[in-house]
Amino acid sequence: MRDFLELSVSAAASGCIYGLVALAYLLMIRPTGIINFAVGEWAMVGAFGGFLFLSRIELPYPVGMATVLGFMLLVGWATERIAVRPLVERGAPLLAPILALLGMLVVFRESISLGFGPDPHQVPEPFGFEHHKTWIIAAVIVVFAAVWLFFEKTTTGKAFEAVSLNRKAAALMGINLSRVTAASFAGGAAAAGLAGLLVAPNVSAHYLMGVPLAIQGFTALVIGGVGRVEGALLGGLLVAFAEQLTVRYAPLPAGYAQGVPLLLLMVFLLVRPTGLLRARA
Amino acid sequence: MSRSNAAALAGWIAAALVLSAVAFFLGSYYNDVYRKLLLWIALALSYNFLFGISGQVAFSHFAFYGIGAYAVVIFLFQLGLPLPLAVLAGILVCTAIALAVAIPSTRLEGFYLALATLALAQLFIVVLNEGGAVTGGTGGIVDYRLPPVFGVRIAGPWYTAVIVVLVLATYAVLWRLDRSWFGRACRAVRDNPEAAAAMGVNVARTKVIAFTLTSVLAGIAGMVYAFVDNTVNPPIFGLENAFLLLFMVIIGGSGRHAGAVVGAVLLYLLPFVLSPLIGHHHALVFGVLMVAAILLQPRGLIGLYDFLKRT
Repeated sequence: MRDFLELSVSAAASGCIYGLVALAYLLMIRPTGIINFAVGEWAMVGAFGGFLFLSRIELPYPVGMATVLGFMLLVGWATERIAVRPLVERGAPLLAPILALLGMLVVFRESISLGFGPDPHQVPEPFGFEHHKTWIIAAVIVVFAAVWLFFEKTTTGKAFEAVSLNRKAAALMGINLSRVTAASFAGGAAAAGLAGLLVAPNVSAHYLMGVPLAIQGFTALVIGGVGRVEGALLGGLLVAFAEQLTVRYAPLPAGYAQGVPLLLLMVFLLVRPTGLLRARA
Repeated sequence: MSRSNAAALAGWIAAALVLSAVAFFLGSYYNDVYRKLLLWIALALSYNFLFGISGQVAFSHFAFYGIGAYAVVIFLFQLGLPLPLAVLAGILVCTAIALAVAIPSTRLEGFYLALATLALAQLFIVVLNEGGAVTGGTGGIVDYRLPPVFGVRIAGPWYTAVIVVLVLATYAVLWRLDRSWFGRACRAVRDNPEAAAAMGVNVARTKVIAFTLTSVLAGIAGMVYAFVDNTVNPPIFGLENAFLLLFMVIIGGSGRHAGAVVGAVLLYLLPFVLSPLIGHHHALVFGVLMVAAILLQPRGLIGLYDFLKRT
């Protein structure tokens, strides 16, 4: 029983990370339709930000965290400026920015590996090892509550929703489309960067850590459905619990846990392609 | 056989002879470089049909290359099948895996195939590492030799000639397909799936067939690769190669066979030039080139060539 409780806490913490990555995808997909595979690399950049500001420069944790998040906002904004906006303004097909972002993915990864080398780097926990999982869960719940309130209660949030429902109509109502797009990329990068910063103490900052996170986060998104913010968290928790239960109770080598998201992705695409939660009418 | 068919056949044979003859003038190091260049061209050609012509973003192409390589080696040396049966069994394995990925992924619009294939490519490496005695784990399988074909051992430049035949056969199949009803259906599905469906094209089936066919072509290329280094191990089939293929096709000019060839040659040879300058970080240059190509010249180097020729 104790064993199962420990497993639950650890799965909940991983699930929160996946949910946060799924949220990063969702923030960008909803208003623009663009799937940005570079979220995994953004998480990696966030983790290296943690290493730089918390391990090397040794800023106090809140200051370091704020610096990383601010930097990620900037990264997201700049990415949108370079790889998305010129293509959207030209009226290029949706595939063009997605491919440009794939190019950016490689640029991020190689720049980090050039700057920090191929070895993993330690990132500290703010409240010590035994409380780190609790801290992850608490931080992610706060983020999701804030995002949910933003979309439900504020006019700006409603503007985002309007853009995701109908871009043309939203533009006619006086909503600035390019500002919404820029904000969604900045927000997505901050969410992904936070996920990287939170997960880094467990896995160490490493230049190849992005792709698994991108896959797990996307699986969480497909399971939860892109319609609602809560879906991302629910999907993340489901993926993490499925992974941890497989590792703990199935007689398979631990590496096969990476197959769980693929299997879930296939099952959900076949059985329930719109995700668990329906978008509200 | 009509006269034009005979001329085309003569052209193919001449190309095969010239490209194979080159191998006999190269030393063993340059033969190795030449073989791998040819294999990248074969992969880029089939990936161009999948991505450029039928418009599917998939990251599994290089994984299928690895699946083909591992399958033929396992069937030959772990299960002891004769070569023709091992090749056939390898093709069946590639087909089954391709269908299992493609059929669920076509149920939804958008880029679900990209994610499913990314996850497949990642899982493939895990299976290779954890596969124990069957896949040889992290060390892979080493020290095997191509069994004699009709009592003849094919080696050295003669094996390079086999790869030349593979590249030309791949090109011939794709060229014929591209000009057939199926190729036009693929382009229609890429450009406007609704209109294609209205014209009576079965969109899902077209996508699944294109995906499976090109994946099997990649698998066959992998089977040929297995006897280039006589080694298969997990790092050879890493995920970064899937991105490299995509970059080759886009930078060369997607949707065009010539573009795929130009992209493959350029990106395969570029690291030889770049590595004295920036070590093994040439992927950074590829990423920048890729973003630049999409922003400035979406039709790639071939598009640029067309443009310069017109002016």
